Amino acid sequence: MMTSPHTCPQCGTELPADAPDGVCPTCLVQQGFDSHTAAANLASGTTGLASGPGFVAPSPDELSGRFPQFDIIELVGQGGMGAVYKARQPTLDRVVALKILPPEVGHDPAFAERFKREARALAMLSHPSIVTVYDSGETDGLYYFAMEFVDGTNLRQTIVQGGLTPPEALAIVPQICDALQAAHDEGVVHRDIKPENVLIDKRGRVKITDFGLAKLLGTDTDDTAIGKPFTLTDTRQVMGTAHYMAPEQIQSSSGVDHRADIYSLGVVFYEMLTGELPIGRFEPPSSKVRIDVRLDDVVLRSLASAPDRRYQHASDVKTEVETILNDDPEHRPPVPNTPNLRPSARDRLKAPAVGLVVASAVDVVATLGILLFSLRISAVASDALTIRTLIFNAVGVASLTHGIVLALGAAKMFRLRSYPIAVGASVVAILPFGPGAAISLPFGIWALIVLLTGETRAAFAAGSGRDIS
Amino acid sequence: MVVEAGRRSSPQSADALATLCEIYWFPLYAYVRRQGQSTDDAQDLTQAFFAHLLDKQTLRVADRERGHFRSFLLTSLKHFLAKQWRRDAAQKRGGGRAPIALDFDDGETRYRIAPSHESTPEKLFERQWALTLLARALATLHREFEASGKAARFVSLKMYLGGEKSRVPYRELAGQLDTSEGAVKVAIHRMRRRYRAILRDEIRHTVDAAEDVDDELRRLFDALTP
Repeated sequence: MMTSPHTCPQCGTELPADAPDGVCPTCLVQQGFDSHTAAANLASGTTGLASGPGFVAPSPDELSGRFPQFDIIELVGQGGMGAVYKARQPTLDRVVALKILPPEVGHDPAFAERFKREARALAMLSHPSIVTVYDSGETDGLYYFAMEFVDGTNLRQTIVQGGLTPPEALAIVPQICDALQAAHDEGVVHRDIKPENVLIDKRGRVKITDFGLAKLLGTDTDDTAIGKPFTLTDTRQVMGTAHYMAPEQIQSSSGVDHRADIYSLGVVFYEMLTGELPIGRFEPPSSKVRIDVRLDDVVLRSLASAPDRRYQHASDVKTEVETILNDDPEHRPPVPNTPNLRPSARDRLKAPAVGLVVASAVDVVATLGILLFSLRISAVASDALTIRTLIFNAVGVASLTHGIVLALGAAKMFRLRSYPIAVGASVVAILPFGPGAAISLPFGIWALIVLLTGETRAAFAAGSGRDIS
Repeated sequence: MVVEAGRRSSPQSADALATLCEIYWFPLYAYVRRQGQSTDDAQDLTQAFFAHLLDKQTLRVADRERGHFRSFLLTSLKHFLAKQWRRDAAQKRGGGRAPIALDFDDGETRYRIAPSHESTPEKLFERQWALTLLARALATLHREFEASGKAARFVSLKMYLGGEKSRVPYRELAGQLDTSEGAVKVAIHRMRRRYRAILRDEIRHTVDAAEDVDDELRRLFDALTP
């Protein structure tokens, strides 16, 4: 490992002159993540063509001594978690991608066992859209995989170099779904779906690489005791991966299942369509590009923060996408300049929500009237009227509550948050608890109709999720 | 603290705001400098901006939705500069009495040290913000070590804060500190854990909700990556 005084021994980047206390600032930020698990998961940035310094890859010459069975041709990519070489296997006369893991992985005594186990699972995966693992093992303390060599590019490069048209993106998604479904059927979760790991060969076929590598290289498994020095987390590089991780995966990687991949797929899907990441309060894809608005539902449902609200199978995503495409014979884009044929859930909820606000205002005003009146009569007359006063007060309280609930529900609808409250408030709107009910009844029904559509539910699910900025 | 700073002019809110400004003034100053202002003008403008902020209780109108104090400050500064507050205006509002103590000499040195390759003032601002935050977290940690009489230990161990690898192997370090390798590892682990808590706490002051801390960390990371 190269450690000149001006580079960070940790990540290999140049230390800036203003590094706080002489410690590498990027590494310091990375330490801030709550669990090392999350940070490790963020990192698994080696893909065929990942970028980033940190792990200094041996030259092909250095390597050829260790791998007599291969002719190492060239280094094709390296990242914090390994390096990939193009090599030829003369005995079979085929070109392979040789991926070597950083030597540090060997320092963990439990790694060998884990590697063996995972490698066996990966070798079982056989699917046209999954990069095939031919061989794996350890030589001289260096762990490696020999894999199918994909001559082409990756999705990241494609996105960077001018992006994809929606039809191109829509042709890629079902292939990713196929690959994921095949792996999930074998019990393998990718854990690191991102554009760098989606390779595209020269014929446009999709090949997913690095299945399970995140788990293998992460410290998330039970094999690593807490408090032990972290061998791998410290090689972490590619923080950007975090954007593709499901919320539950960021929290803790134990107990993460295949639905985490579906979330990541949703992020990739969104990025392919819009060129942006779905961070913060993001807009549905159809408001950015001309696509069938029903695709919004597919993307948003994949991105639901609760795994239960996502698609439960990758194949379901594929089915939905294909149904929408088939329904729409030429994938016909909407008329130019009218990007949205159907208004978004937020827009459709706006009118009923405004109605509820008006009804709420009527309730509040009426309550004030009733209370004033009640005060006056109780001032004028005395005990004979107590019962009447009580009734007035009860009506006043009911009316005020009605009004407050309506206002709260409307607020939730505007913000697409707290779905149960929005639905509850709509139900209350229908009940005759206050003078405002005359107005709120129709709007409550209207709101319920909109709220109960799948699209709106998905919008709420996404809205209550990663809404941060 | 952001939440506190946003409350209607209570004494705490003014204090909270002043505290935040004292912490994060340098990124703003660097931004103004990168906008092409001279040292003097940048100092006046920064000071005047804070005076404006504290006077007007602008924080009150901070859009709670946005959550991030960092973006709020930058946006406010941009608005402020757009109004073209000239130097005399700055004198009038802020020059007379300095609302908070800012060490501009130090600031100018730091500004000159900062790499000049960052293309935009915004990027510079964000990077400086991240560095300020980190430096503050480190300083707090340092103080804690000092308070427990372990200042020297902090100096030896801090290079491991960023991660495992370092130019000095554990064994050598253990020799220097006259302790065992295992003890060094434990000490480093504890120090990192404490540092993480401090850093997250520091960030927590600048965002609305605890859930936003990870997101802000990611943004800081992006800001530091060229």
